[in-house]
Amino acid sequence: MFRNYLKIAWRNIVKHRFYSAINIFGLTVGMTCCFLIFMFVRFELSYDTFHRKADQIYRVSTDVKTPTELIRAAITSAPMGPAMKADFPEVLNMVRVNAASWLIQQGDNKYQEDKVLLADSSFFDVFSFRLLKGNAASALRAPFSIVLTERAAHKYFGDADPMGKSLLIEGEYSATVTGIMKDVPANSQLDFDMLASMSTLTKALQPGIDEQWGNFGMGTYVVLPPGADPMQLERKLPAFMESHIGDMMKRGSMYYTLRLEKLTDVYLHSTREAPVKGNLSNIYIFAVVAAFILFIAIFNFVNLATAKATERAKEVGVRKSIGAFTSQLTLQFLCETILLSLLAFVLSLVCCQLLLPAFNALVGKEIRTYVFDRAGDLYYFFGTAVAVGLLAGAYPALILAAYKPALVLKGAFGRSDKGLSLRKCLVAIQFVTAIILIAGVTIVYRQLAYMHQQPLGFKKEQMLVMDFTGVRNLQTSWPDMKQRIARLPGVERASFSSSVPGEGQSSAYTLIENKAGDMQPSNINLYSVDYDFIQQYQVKVIAGRAFSPAFASDSTAALLVNEAVVSSLGYAQPQDIIGKRYSQWGREGRIVGVVRNFNYRSLRAEVEPLTLRLEPRDFDVLSLNVSTAGIPATLSALEQAFTQLAPERRFSYYFLDEAFDRQYRTDYRFGRLILLAAILAIIIASLGLLGLISYIVTQRTKEIGIRKVLGASVINLLLLLSRDFLKLVMIAMLIATPVAWYVMHRWLQDFAYRIHIEWWMFLLAGLGAVVVAMVTVGLQSVKAALVNPVKSLRTE
Amino acid sequence: MIQLKHISKHYPVGFGKNAVLDDIDLTIHAGEFVSIMGPSGSGKSTLLHILGLLEEPSGGEYLFEGEPVHKMSEKKRTQLHRGSIGFVFQAYHLIDELTVYENIETPLLYKNVPSSERKSRVADVLDRFNIVAKKDLFPNQLSGGQQQLVGIARAIVAEPRVIFADEPTGNLHSDQARVIMQLFKHLNETDKITIVQVTHSEQNAAFGHRVIEIRDGKIR
Ligand SMILES: Nc1ncnc2c1ncn2[C@@H]1O[C@H](COP(=O)(O)OP(=O)(O)O)[C@@H](O)[C@H]1O
Ligand SMILES: [Mg+2]
Repeated sequence: MFRNYLKIAWRNIVKHRFYSAINIFGLTVGMTCCFLIFMFVRFELSYDTFHRKADQIYRVSTDVKTPTELIRAAITSAPMGPAMKADFPEVLNMVRVNAASWLIQQGDNKYQEDKVLLADSSFFDVFSFRLLKGNAASALRAPFSIVLTERAAHKYFGDADPMGKSLLIEGEYSATVTGIMKDVPANSQLDFDMLASMSTLTKALQPGIDEQWGNFGMGTYVVLPPGADPMQLERKLPAFMESHIGDMMKRGSMYYTLRLEKLTDVYLHSTREAPVKGNLSNIYIFAVVAAFILFIAIFNFVNLATAKATERAKEVGVRKSIGAFTSQLTLQFLCETILLSLLAFVLSLVCCQLLLPAFNALVGKEIRTYVFDRAGDLYYFFGTAVAVGLLAGAYPALILAAYKPALVLKGAFGRSDKGLSLRKCLVAIQFVTAIILIAGVTIVYRQLAYMHQQPLGFKKEQMLVMDFTGVRNLQTSWPDMKQRIARLPGVERASFSSSVPGEGQSSAYTLIENKAGDMQPSNINLYSVDYDFIQQYQVKVIAGRAFSPAFASDSTAALLVNEAVVSSLGYAQPQDIIGKRYSQWGREGRIVGVVRNFNYRSLRAEVEPLTLRLEPRDFDVLSLNVSTAGIPATLSALEQAFTQLAPERRFSYYFLDEAFDRQYRTDYRFGRLILLAAILAIIIASLGLLGLISYIVTQRTKEIGIRKVLGASVINLLLLLSRDFLKLVMIAMLIATPVAWYVMHRWLQDFAYRIHIEWWMFLLAGLGAVVVAMVTVGLQSVKAALVNPVKSLRTE
Repeated sequence: MIQLKHISKHYPVGFGKNAVLDDIDLTIHAGEFVSIMGPSGSGKSTLLHILGLLEEPSGGEYLFEGEPVHKMSEKKRTQLHRGSIGFVFQAYHLIDELTVYENIETPLLYKNVPSSERKSRVADVLDRFNIVAKKDLFPNQLSGGQQQLVGIARAIVAEPRVIFADEPTGNLHSDQARVIMQLFKHLNETDKITIVQVTHSEQNAAFGHRVIEIRDGKIR
């Protein structure tokens, strides 16, 4: 019996190639999207779950309460972790990590390694990264021990065995390779190319840091016993801090509260800033979009199948008259849809595999190399395919199986309007989805363009930024270096600073005299700059003056602030703050000027208070105004000059505008994904429409012929056939607009600087849908309307 | 075998109803070959469908092999379709997607006949109707007469006790019609299958034992 079903199913698929192709194509696209996004979501949810003790590991983070604000940091200071382990027996183990960027040299190989992680020797006990060579317990014990990932090992040593070999760090220190480990999995919140022993820092580079409770910078992870309640430990932590540094906290009026976050929650759920961070709401959006696309494909299926149900009516009648149960017929028709969806399933697995590299590139990470990397997922995929077949087939199968044989066989069976309203409903939902997606894409791209074009309050064009991190003697010889570089042809102007817009900055505990005359403390962002920075970046000074060599005290006592500082201290006018006292990081003096707010961070956030001071000690980058002509020549001249100035370093540079836009990388990525989804949704929906309209047209061929004979014009007929669909699109527009408005309004809330949603965006989306519908319906209708009526009438 | 008492049938039309059959009394004994005749629209097909359990009468009582039909469950009726009743239609109503062989085999599949027996029974029927050569063709590759032969083959393959045929030769020319009629006669005489056919032709009716005239929903 079953074979008989399959046979019929297959022959039907082949016989109605056009409809089968539409259905299979739609389902394949839908499932491919679904599976890819499933893999993406699964990947995002899998962060850090590969550690054996994943359920026992907690990240320790710090809430820093200053008199004015609460800073929620993801890091701790160096002594906190060891003290917790010493004080609490339930802290079974602890590891501290600290990110570093080192210049590493091996023979002639020299690279700036941005992803070095310093870690305590307990690292391999706490985490389950796989050590291939070396001793897990001791590899990270001695200062200047290095554990290389396979990738890094290959980079420096090729195929030779690196164990025991030495590497030169920052051109000064010799370190020994004590271990080789597997590359870090892509789904790890700790991302590094090599590990260095924490003792390198605590014993050699920064001795004494182990006693500095107020010096933040380390990530700390603790291991609790299986099943332990982290809250129980967390409740004991305030007393713990009080006992260790109660006095210090009171004196500085900075209070630290330690918090525990489950390791596996950190990536997606933590609200604290981190270099590797997921976005839960994007995951939701993707999941919903994937479901949308799949459902659009399913709706096509239901639509076409119910529309064509009449054609199968005879078969139903005959089968019933020779003894088929209704349930057997239902099963038979379900078999067909499931067969179709399994065909699409196989195709979509192939598509997934072919598209995986492109998809990895699109989401910006290697979520997996082969679709079958996790064999278990195949069950989910298969289950989805069967469920799709059932969902798509259930309604048509029920309609079909319910036909009364007597009616059908007597031929009293004309065109059935059964399921017509359902069909209209499904088409409307498809258009609602399409319109929401089009509107979403429009708004996302407008916002991206807006962020790209929005004046930021500083000059970012033709600005080349050179990395001077770790260059020796920079603190003293920077004026000379700057001069030598500024003299090069193609370079118009240069200035040193600790950071440039878009690249993050440090912050410092600062006291500034407020309106009431009190020294008001707060944690304020800080740029260390030279005399030319303000002018070169064309940041506007709106009160007082910029730094100037003419004032000898500027290099030790002057401070510039931005407008945000002025208002946070309660001053009404920028002029009011000029001459007020401040104290910051070992420096005291007066405020000499106020600069207009410039967006030194992404437009997602409001401009925060910022102070600027002259501090050559902190210089890390050199910004250059370069002329657009002859950039390659300028670059090679720069490289040459740099290599002479700092032979131990590597020349590296970037263009400021590109780097600034890179902050929106995930937003651009999001935009591209939504755009893709919208295009796919529209293609599938219009294919469905095409199938439906061509079926309707064949059914109404005779009517069209008669109408033509009676004098209807092609336009009349076009209207006749497309009126219903246009009405549906209009209704869809009415439903989609508020939904899209709400969703996109929410999405825009993440941006401090954002576009206004305007009515034309929805109109555009609606018109887009109308055009697509008109083209699809119109072509078919015109074709039908142009047929010579004699032809269609004679066939009857 | 078949006993109709005061059977009536009407269809709803707008707010009223359209009476098609009115107070029909009819008895057909096992082994009979009956022809139903009457003008178009007089209710012949409706009567045949009621007899064949495809439609329910609006009133009256119908005993099939002594059992009241209106008390039968859906399942029981389907069981009768599988084993006791065969249908032959004017428009053949073969399943277009199945070959000749598969069309004939389908009733046996529903009856859960084991594979080997299925094969031999289908082969027997093919042989008997001289259509072995056609067994792998699809219905649209056959002439009308051949299609009707397949239709009849499908009706008898499950060895029913009664065949209901609704204008089985209506779409055929007279030579083909005669072949079909002789086949019915043969089935009736040697296989003892009861046959009830609707026909417009006196010649065809002459193959049977008895003619029932229907006019305006009543037997004359
Ligand atoms: N399902 C139905 N609904 C409404 N009227 C029907 C239906 N089936 C048959 N009729 C009507 O019943 C009458 C008898 O039909 P039918 O039994 O097919 O006649 P015959 O087979 O004798 O030509 C016709 O007038 C027909 O229009
Ligand atoms: Mg009839």
